[in-house]
Amino acid sequence: MIEVTHLTKTYGKKHNVFTALDDVSFTIPDGASVAIIGKSGSGKSTLMHAMSGLDRPQQGEVNVNGEDILKLKKKAVDHFRATQMSFIFQSFFVQANESCFDNVALPLEIASVPSRERKQRIIDALEAVELGDKIKSKAKNLSGGQKQRLAIARAIVNKPKILFADEPTGNLDSTTSDTIEDLLFGYTKMNKTTLIIVTHDPDLAAKCDIEIRIKDGKIESIKEHKKAAIKPMTAGRVQ
Amino acid sequence: MKMRDIVRRAGRSLKQAKARTLLTSLAIAVGAFALTLTIAAGQGARQYADKLIGSNVNPKALFIVKDETIFSPTATNTGLREYNPDDTVLSDGSAVKQLTQKDIDALSKRDDLENIEPTYNLSMNYLTVEGDAKKYTSSLAAYGATILSDTAAGTLPSLGVQIGENEVVMPEDFATTLGKRPADLIGKKLTMTVAKAATPPTEEEIASIIATEGTAGLARLSQGETKEIILTIKAVKKKTATALTASTSLEVSSAKAREIAEYTTQGTNEYQKYFAVSALAKNSEPDVVKAALKDDGYTAQTAKDLQGVIFAVVNTLQGIVIGFAIVALIASVFGIINTQYISVLERTQQIGLMKALGMRGRDVARLFRYEAAWIGFLGGAIGAGGATILGVSLNPWITKTLSLGEENAILVFQPLPIIGLIIGLMIIAVIAGYLPARKAARLDPIEALRTE
Repeated sequence: MIEVTHLTKTYGKKHNVFTALDDVSFTIPDGASVAIIGKSGSGKSTLMHAMSGLDRPQQGEVNVNGEDILKLKKKAVDHFRATQMSFIFQSFFVQANESCFDNVALPLEIASVPSRERKQRIIDALEAVELGDKIKSKAKNLSGGQKQRLAIARAIVNKPKILFADEPTGNLDSTTSDTIEDLLFGYTKMNKTTLIIVTHDPDLAAKCDIEIRIKDGKIESIKEHKKAAIKPMTAGRVQ
Repeated sequence: MKMRDIVRRAGRSLKQAKARTLLTSLAIAVGAFALTLTIAAGQGARQYADKLIGSNVNPKALFIVKDETIFSPTATNTGLREYNPDDTVLSDGSAVKQLTQKDIDALSKRDDLENIEPTYNLSMNYLTVEGDAKKYTSSLAAYGATILSDTAAGTLPSLGVQIGENEVVMPEDFATTLGKRPADLIGKKLTMTVAKAATPPTEEEIASIIATEGTAGLARLSQGETKEIILTIKAVKKKTATALTASTSLEVSSAKAREIAEYTTQGTNEYQKYFAVSALAKNSEPDVVKAALKDDGYTAQTAKDLQGVIFAVVNTLQGIVIGFAIVALIASVFGIINTQYISVLERTQQIGLMKALGMRGRDVARLFRYEAAWIGFLGGAIGAGGATILGVSLNPWITKTLSLGEENAILVFQPLPIIGLIIGLMIIAVIAGYLPARKAARLDPIEALRTE
């Protein structure tokens, strides 16, 4: 369970104070899919950074399973991210010159997973995103959709409890977007992983269990959708 | 993050920028090349000097003088000094303390010295060799019994034994000048003419000689007295590549040397005065004897000191070249800093991603430091490897050109200094990579990932 309470983040000093997050509070149950939706500059990215411990807001708490990650030391936060969280970004951030295998190996190396365990986990992750035949390919030779699938493989390889996705389909066409969405929802439902998607796309937000709408750093609305809207992962639809 | 994984990632990052990595490491390679050659040359020069001393100087030998300034090139005895009849005044006006017969007697009585041989000041007018009408001249030295030389013809007595009083040893070169084979010279007579120092005759001597012999006698008196010494050629010494001394002098026994020296200096200030004495340490180490001699007012130089003098020259030359190499390395350090800074800027997103995935700043810094270490290793390996290949292939040519003798090489490559050098360069590279690595470690992941 993730509890966000009275989160406030400001930038600048005195006369130029800009409030990115203004007293934000909400609760996310384990295994839920959550969309944080808002226009650019609304504070949705800042909220994601605060929830993942990358940023330190001035006030408030982010309790993950009872532990306030904002009060942890830097080393502990890094360890927390390395073992319990994962990220997917709009522009993929895969290492173009490295093989798919090495790209997916990165989180395992960071988490100091013994090398004998790594190989099978990397192959499993790549097969889960239908890239089992691209293990040795360089990431730069992949299409956009394949790159994002590679990023998903990298995100799920260390079996995170929370998966953050920052505009995961922002750079993809609609068909490829559907595939990526199916993959994300399918994986997180099956593994009871909490999925937090930051987006400005209302269609994507509508597919999530919970929709948190942010405007000018404040919560505008929190909507709960019917679970029936979630499609299970279907391997046949992956291109 | 495990060290092995970081090292592997660092290596992969460099491989992805092959040209840049190679060019940066080439700057280090220049310094490494110069350093490797310098170390090899120094090593070779020292080995050669060791060989040279080993085949020319008995390790127990001591070279004893009374004037300590002889061994210190900076001190001179110029200026106003109290007159001492035992001093020799050199042409530049400085005076040198000499050893007198009293000193020789005192040294002979010591139980820590043996084979005491004064260095005689020997000279001759001319010499003739049996079967050759021409007159020749050459330098003259006392036969050193403490070092055994190879002969081209004839035989030398065993180590420590002097040659006979009427025997003479000549270098191989002389046989060439005489136009004879060395073997043909053995047993031949060699006649040496030595002159007594001309002392101005006193009035009484002039008066008496005119009274007895007339003006012819006066002419003979003012010309000075000469003496013929007839010797038998005992052996012809072979010329060896590492022989330093005695290769250009005619050698007579020490007893004969003394006789000649005393004859030629009789009546002068130089009579029974010696610039130096050579001796062998007995019952104790040369260094111990040297210290004991110092307490008694003598200054001595051991074989080790002589080695030190030669090594000092080698070290100075080596120091100069090392200085230049270090300048080259300093230049390459800035190359590494520059390259790594650019690398950090280029890889902002990658660093941001790694930090977002939980990689610690310390590990990011290590990644960049190991990359720098790889560059240092590569540069060191290229430079040292190139120098070794070049040196090994040039060695025979250098040896031949400088006529150092068959098995002597001036460039000696040893694995340990080269390994040490490469490790040193890796450390330098890591130090150079410190600032860029720190920049990478401090990068804010949010800012880094915002860069599109």
